[in-house]
Amino acid sequence: MIETSSTPVDAPTISIRILLFSVLREGIGRGDLEISIPPGSSATDLLDHLSKSYPVIESHRSIIRVAINQVYVDESAEVSHGDEVALITPVSGG
Amino acid sequence: MLEEKSDDTWILLTHQGLDVEAVADFLRHERAGGINMFLGTTRRWTRGMETVDLEYEAYESMAIEEIRRLTSEADRRWPIMKMVVHHRTGLVAVSQSSVLVGVSTPHRADAFDASRFLIDSLKETVPIWKRERYASGEVEWVQGSGSGGNERPV
Repeated sequence: MIETSSTPVDAPTISIRILLFSVLREGIGRGDLEISIPPGSSATDLLDHLSKSYPVIESHRSIIRVAINQVYVDESAEVSHGDEVALITPVSGG
Repeated sequence: MLEEKSDDTWILLTHQGLDVEAVADFLRHERAGGINMFLGTTRRWTRGMETVDLEYEAYESMAIEEIRRLTSEADRRWPIMKMVVHHRTGLVAVSQSSVLVGVSTPHRADAFDASRFLIDSLKETVPIWKRERYASGEVEWVQGSGSGGNERPV
């Protein structure tokens, strides 16, 4: 018997709030998203997941910095349940 | 509006105009020989295009955090008596001020250097963005050259 792998419907997930600003907020039409991802996901996994659904995130991928709970992180950083994640495009204050 | 004010550091994000006099008064200190303040203003012409106004958006909670980190770093590097970083959000018309940074130090060289550090670093890392509206009607989000995070001007 051949078994094909698929994501079980009852696989654990964690709930993340993503904050969006400037071009990303305008492109998606909202300032925040609630998504579910597997536990142990990294910021890279998160961006991969979002890039599939949102072309504006895909097109800005190389210049997006991730912040978790208001601190910039490397893309290897793990995202935890309840984290406030923000996608930061190149800033232009001042 | 979001504000953090201690005896020696005043950080503010506001939709209203910036109060230069109030900031100068805050910065005065008996041990300071110099106060240096920098005001960033909306410039009318950029690369041949005419700007009508700039609109600023902030990730407010992180902007305050990041500005606090910058003021702590400035405090480690220079003998600062008092420090201010104020930034406007919303519309800032031509020649109006969007940002005010200021320090007071015993000697003026440090005041210039610390003030320069604060504005240069703010422009690199603080999560605030501006949308430029041109006379042509075109509107565009300005993508800074800063990469955010770890890289800061020395």
